[in-house]
Amino acid sequence: MGAQLADGADLDRPQETMSHVDRNREAWTEFAPEFAELAPRAWGRDEFEWGVWNVPESELGALPDVAGMDTVELGCGTAYISAWLSRRGARPVGIDITPAQLETARRMQAEFGLDFPLLEASAEDVPLPDESFDLAISEYGASIWADPYRWIPEAARLLRPGGHVVFLVNGTIMILCSADEELPPGRELLRPYFGMHRFEWDGTGGIEFHLGYGDWIRLLRENGFAVENLIEIQPPPAGEPHRFPGLPDREWARRWPSEEIWVARKRS
Amino acid sequence: MSDFEQNRAFWDRHSDEYQQTHREHIGRSEPRWGMWQLPESELKVLGDVAGKDILELGCGAAQWSILLAGLGARPVGVDNSERQLEHARDALAAAGLDFPLVHAPAETVPLPDASFDIVFADHGANRFADPYAWVPEAARLLRPGGLLAFSGSTPFEVMCWNEPADRMEPELHLDYFGMHRIEDSDGPVQFELPYGEWIRLFRANGFELEDLREIQPPPRAESTYRTAEETEWARNWPMEQIWIVRKKR
Repeated sequence: MGAQLADGADLDRPQETMSHVDRNREAWTEFAPEFAELAPRAWGRDEFEWGVWNVPESELGALPDVAGMDTVELGCGTAYISAWLSRRGARPVGIDITPAQLETARRMQAEFGLDFPLLEASAEDVPLPDESFDLAISEYGASIWADPYRWIPEAARLLRPGGHVVFLVNGTIMILCSADEELPPGRELLRPYFGMHRFEWDGTGGIEFHLGYGDWIRLLRENGFAVENLIEIQPPPAGEPHRFPGLPDREWARRWPSEEIWVARKRS
Repeated sequence: MSDFEQNRAFWDRHSDEYQQTHREHIGRSEPRWGMWQLPESELKVLGDVAGKDILELGCGAAQWSILLAGLGARPVGVDNSERQLEHARDALAAAGLDFPLVHAPAETVPLPDASFDIVFADHGANRFADPYAWVPEAARLLRPGGLLAFSGSTPFEVMCWNEPADRMEPELHLDYFGMHRIEDSDGPVQFELPYGEWIRLFRANGFELEDLREIQPPPRAESTYRTAEETEWARNWPMEQIWIVRKKR
C-alpha cells in the first residue's frame, strides 16, 4: 500500500475491502475472452471514444492535450486507451491486475505495432515512482473496481504537480436504480445514497466501488486535487445499442446519467 | 412577467404566512442551516465570521444576518421581496441592530465589486434566482479568496417529486439532463442544476470547489418545512445540500 498506508491515512478503512483485488481478478479472468473479442475494434479506432455510448473525446473535451505527456492507465484492461494516447504522442504505461487482459493487450500491441509498458499491478499499490506522470486515466477500470480511498491517493502520488486525473465511473443515480449486474436500471431508487462505497452485486462475483458526489469531491480535495469538471454523459438520440445487459438503454440514458467523468488536477 | 417579478410577487404575498409558520423553527439563538436547522457550530461552513463583510442573498427576515452581526460580522441583507424586508427591519429594530438591507433580486445586486469576504444563502435567493445570473453576481461581489456558500435543494429532490401525488417518492419522475428552471403552477419559479453544471458554472466564474455537504438529517429530526415522511426520505437520499466554493486569489 506504500506511503498512504504507512502514514496512516487508510488504516481506518474497513478490512472487508482486503479481498476485492483477488475477487476482481477472478471475475475479469472470466470476462477476458469477451473483451479480447472487442479489443481489435477498440484498438483500431482513430479517435478515442468514451464509455458504452462511444461519445468522442473531441465532443467531451475531458482530456488535456496529451502530446509529450507521461500517462498511466489504471486498470487498463486491453489497453485501447493507452494505445490511443500513444498515437497522440503520449508515453503511456498501462497497469492491470488481470494477466488474461494484459495478454490481450500485448497481442494487440504486436498486431498494431505499438509498444509501451504493461504492468501487472493494482491501482491501489502501483510499483512506480512518485511524481512520474502527467495524466492518470481510468475508464471502467480502477475507477470502478478499485477502492477509491486507496487508488485516488496512489494517483496523487504518481502525478507530478499540475498533473490530471481523469476517470469515468457509472452514473451515481444509475447505481442507485440498479437491482443487480445483469439487469438494466429502472426508475426506482433501490438503495440509499448515504453510505455508498462498496458494492457486491448478485450474479457475477466482482466487487465494485461507487461514491456519492460529495464524497468524491472531498476525497479528491483531501488528496491535493482541484476538481475541474464532472462530465455527465448523455448519449446522442440515435446510435448502435451497447452489449451490456446491466446498463440502461438509450432512452433511460438520455434522461439520467449512466456515465460520469471526473476531471481533477493536482495542485502545484 | 419575468421570473424575478413573479417570485417577488409570490414572496410579497406569502411573507407574513411564511414568517408566522417558521418563526420559532428558524428564530434560534445560534446560526443554523436549512430545513432541519443543523447548527453552524457543527457544520462549520462559514468559519470565523468576526470582522468580515458578509452578504446574505435572500435574507428574508434576516434571522441569519442578525446572529452573524452578534458574532462580530458586518452583514448586509439582500431580498427580492419588500414585505420580507419589512419583517427584517422589525427584527433589526427589536435586536437594536442597524445594518444595510437592500431590496434587489440576486441577479442584479446594486453593490460595488469585491466588497465582501463571504456571500451566502440558506435556502435563499439561490433557490429562486437563475444560477447563470446570480453566481456571476456573487463572484463580482466577493473579494479574491472570498467564500461563497449556499444551502438549497438537490437534483434528487427535483427528480423524485411526484407532483400529481404531491409527495416525495423513491422514484425518478423528472429528467436529470436539462434540469434548470422548475415551474410550479401556483408557486414561485425555482432553480436547480445537475452536479456537473454547478461545477462548470463555479469554475467559469473563477471559483475553486471546496465541498459539497449533502445533509442527512438525524433520525426523527423536526422541521416546519418537511413532514415526517419527507424527513424519512431524506435519511436515504439527499434532499438538501450546501455548496462551498472559494473565489480564486
